Amino acid sequence: MKIELNNIGKKYEGRENFTIRNIDLEIDDKDFCVILGPSGCGKSTLLRMIAGLTSITEGDLYFGGKRMNSVEPKDRDIAMVFQSYALYPHMTVYENMAFSLKMRKERKSVIHERVLEAAELLKITDYLYSKPSEISGGQRQRVALGRAIVRKAGVFLMDEPLSNLDAKLREHMRVELVRLHQSLDTTSIYVTHDQTEAMTMATKIVLLDQGKVQQVGPPTLFYEKPANLFVAGFIGSPTMNIFNGEIKEGNFHSLEEDFVIEPKESDRELLKPFEGKKVAMGIRSERFIAGEAEKNAINVKVDVIEMLGKEQLLYCQFPNGKECVISEPGYFEYAVDEDHNFHLDLDGLHFFDAETTERIN
Amino acid sequence: MRKKKEKGLYLSDRPPLTPLKAVLLTISYILLFIYVFVILWPLAQIVFSSFNGSQDQYIRIGGTYEFSLKHFKYLFEETYFLNWVVNTIVIAVATALLTLLFVSFTGYAYSRYRFKGRKASLMAIMLIQTIPSFVGIVAYYTMHSIIAAVIPGFSRQMFLVLIYAGGGIASNTFILKGYIDSISTELDDAARIDGCGNLQVYRLIIMPIVRPMLAIIALWSFIGPFLDYMLPSILLSDPKQYTLATGLYTLITDVRNMHQPVFAAGGLLTALPIIILFIALQNQLVSGLASGAVKG
Ligand SMILES: Nc1ncnc2c1ncn2[C@@H]1O[C@H](COP(=O)(O)OP(=O)(O)OP(=O)(O)O)[C@@H](O)[C@H]1O
Ligand SMILES: [Mg+2]
Repeated sequence: MKIELNNIGKKYEGRENFTIRNIDLEIDDKDFCVILGPSGCGKSTLLRMIAGLTSITEGDLYFGGKRMNSVEPKDRDIAMVFQSYALYPHMTVYENMAFSLKMRKERKSVIHERVLEAAELLKITDYLYSKPSEISGGQRQRVALGRAIVRKAGVFLMDEPLSNLDAKLREHMRVELVRLHQSLDTTSIYVTHDQTEAMTMATKIVLLDQGKVQQVGPPTLFYEKPANLFVAGFIGSPTMNIFNGEIKEGNFHSLEEDFVIEPKESDRELLKPFEGKKVAMGIRSERFIAGEAEKNAINVKVDVIEMLGKEQLLYCQFPNGKECVISEPGYFEYAVDEDHNFHLDLDGLHFFDAETTERIN
Repeated sequence: MRKKKEKGLYLSDRPPLTPLKAVLLTISYILLFIYVFVILWPLAQIVFSSFNGSQDQYIRIGGTYEFSLKHFKYLFEETYFLNWVVNTIVIAVATALLTLLFVSFTGYAYSRYRFKGRKASLMAIMLIQTIPSFVGIVAYYTMHSIIAAVIPGFSRQMFLVLIYAGGGIASNTFILKGYIDSISTELDDAARIDGCGNLQVYRLIIMPIVRPMLAIIALWSFIGPFLDYMLPSILLSDPKQYTLATGLYTLITDVRNMHQPVFAAGGLLTALPIIILFIALQNQLVSGLASGAVKG
C-alpha cells in the first residue's frame, strides 16, 4: 500500500511548539522505509500518527489514496511492533498472536493455521503455550513480530524493535527482518536511531531532526551525497571530517588548519557563487590517500590508532589541535606520535554552505 | 548418601551467627511469640466459650468446661441471626459489586484519559476521604427520605449499600488508578491496533492484569459491612433488618438479655463467609502478572 504524508504536523497538548511539522513524504508500495533520527526528534510521534494512536494536528495522511486522518487504528489495515513489545502478560504466546484475529471473529481453524504459520516462520513453535514472562527477551521480540505478522496487514510498523537485543542477535534479526519484509510483501515503516540499521535494512531512509525531514532517499544517497551538515555528521561511522574554510579564487582555504584544496572542475563551477564566503568541507575517513602530493595535501600527527583488522582508524591531530579521522588498510604500518602526509581524494569532497548548512556540490 | 555429604556445608545465604546476633535473634523471637499470644489468646477464648455449655450469661475464664452447642442453638432459635446473616451478606455482596464496577471505570478513566478537571476532582476525592462518614448522618437521613419519596421501594439497607460503596469507590479509585498507571500504555495501543474499543481494552487487557488488585478491593468492600457497627445501628431500626454487627451487639448491651457466649458463637460464625471468600479469591490475589509485558 502506498502511503502519503501531506504537510503533516503534530503539536502535543500543553506544548509550546510543534513537535514535528511540515512533513511531506511518499512511501511506495513494498518499500522498507526507515525513519531515522536522534533520540527525541519525533520519530515515534510520526509513526504513531501513521498508526492512528496519536491524532494528526495538521496535514493529511493517505493510505493508497484514501484519507486516513480520522480512521480508527483497527481499521487502517496496519500491524505494529512496539518499542517495549507490549505483549499481553496474561495471555500465552499463542493467545497473544491469535488476539487480533479473534477480535476480528475469524474462524478458529483459520486462526490456528495462521498462528502456526507465523510461529514456524519465526521459530517460536516450542513456547507457544508459555506466558511472555517465561521467555527470554529475544523470544519476546519474535512473539511481538509474530503478533504483527498474523494479521497480514498492508502496512507493517515497527518502533525500534531491536533496541533491546544484544549486538549479535540484533545483527541476526536485521537480516531476518528484511527477509520477513520481502516474504510478506507489505509496506514497512521502521523507526530507529541507529544509522547502521537504517543503512543496512532500508530501501528508503527518512532522516528527521528537530521535527523536520533533513533528507529522504536510498541509503547510498545518504552516504554519498548528504544534503546538509547534519546528515553528513549523522550518517557514516566514523563520522565525516568537517573543515571550516573560505573560497578564494575558486580554491578552498582552510581557516584554522592552514591547507588549501583545489576542487575538481565540476565542483569549482558550483562553488563560484561562494567566492569569498564561508564554506564547510567534508571528507570521509576513507577518502584520504596516504603519501605526499604537490597539491591538496595535509600533514598530521597520529594520536590514537584503532585497529579493526581489515582497516585501521587513525585519529590524527593538526598542529592547531583539530582532530580528524583517517582510515587506511590494516597492513599499513603506523605508530602513535608519528607525523604523516596524506592527500585528499577530490571525488570524495562534500561542500556545504556554512550559513545554511545546505549542500553545495 | 548425598544428604550426608552436604551436612557439613554451610548453605545459608546469610553470614553465620555471632553470639550477639544469636541473642538478638532470640529476643526478637520472644517478642514475636508474645505478639502472637496477645492476638491468639482472645480468639481462643471466643472459640472455647462459644462451645462451652457451662457458661450462661457471661464469659468466664477458667471454670468448668462442658462441650455443648447450646449457644449456637440459642443463636438460631431465639434471635434473628439468620436474618442478620442474610442481610449482611446481601449488603456486603452488593457493596463489593457496586464498588468493583465503579472503581473499574473511575480507576481506568483517571489513569488513561486526560480531561478537564481531572486533577481537581482527584484532589477533591482525596480531601473528602478525610471527613469521617458519621458527619454526614443528618444528610443521610434527609437524602434517604428524598430518594424514598421518589423510589418507594428504596430501603434503608439499600441506602447503607450506597454509603459503603460511595466511600469505597472514592478511596479505591486512587489505589486502582495507581496500579493501572504502572501498566505500560503501549499495551493499550497494541490492543487498539488489534481491534479493541475503549471498553474492550479495559475488559480484555487491563482488567485481567489488575485482577489481584480488584480481588483485594472486592475483599475489602465485602468485609466492610461485617465490621461496621455504627452506620447500621443508626440507620436501621427494625431488629430484623440488622446486620450481623448490630444484631449481635444486642446480645451484650443489656443486663437482662446478656448472652456473651452466644455473642462469641455469632462472632465465630461471622468469620466464615469472609474466610470462604478469602479462600475463593486466593488465586486471584497472587500478583506479579504484570511482569513480562515489556522488555527485560
Ligand atoms: N504524549 C506526549 N505529550 C507531550 N509531549 C510528548 C508526548 N510524547 C512525546 N512528546 C514529546 O515529543 C518529542 C518527540 O518524542 P518521540 O517519542 O517522538 O521521540 P523519538 O524520536 O521517538 O525518541 P526516541 O528515539 O528516544 O524514542 C519529545 O520531545 C517528547 O517530549
Ligand atoms: Mg521513540
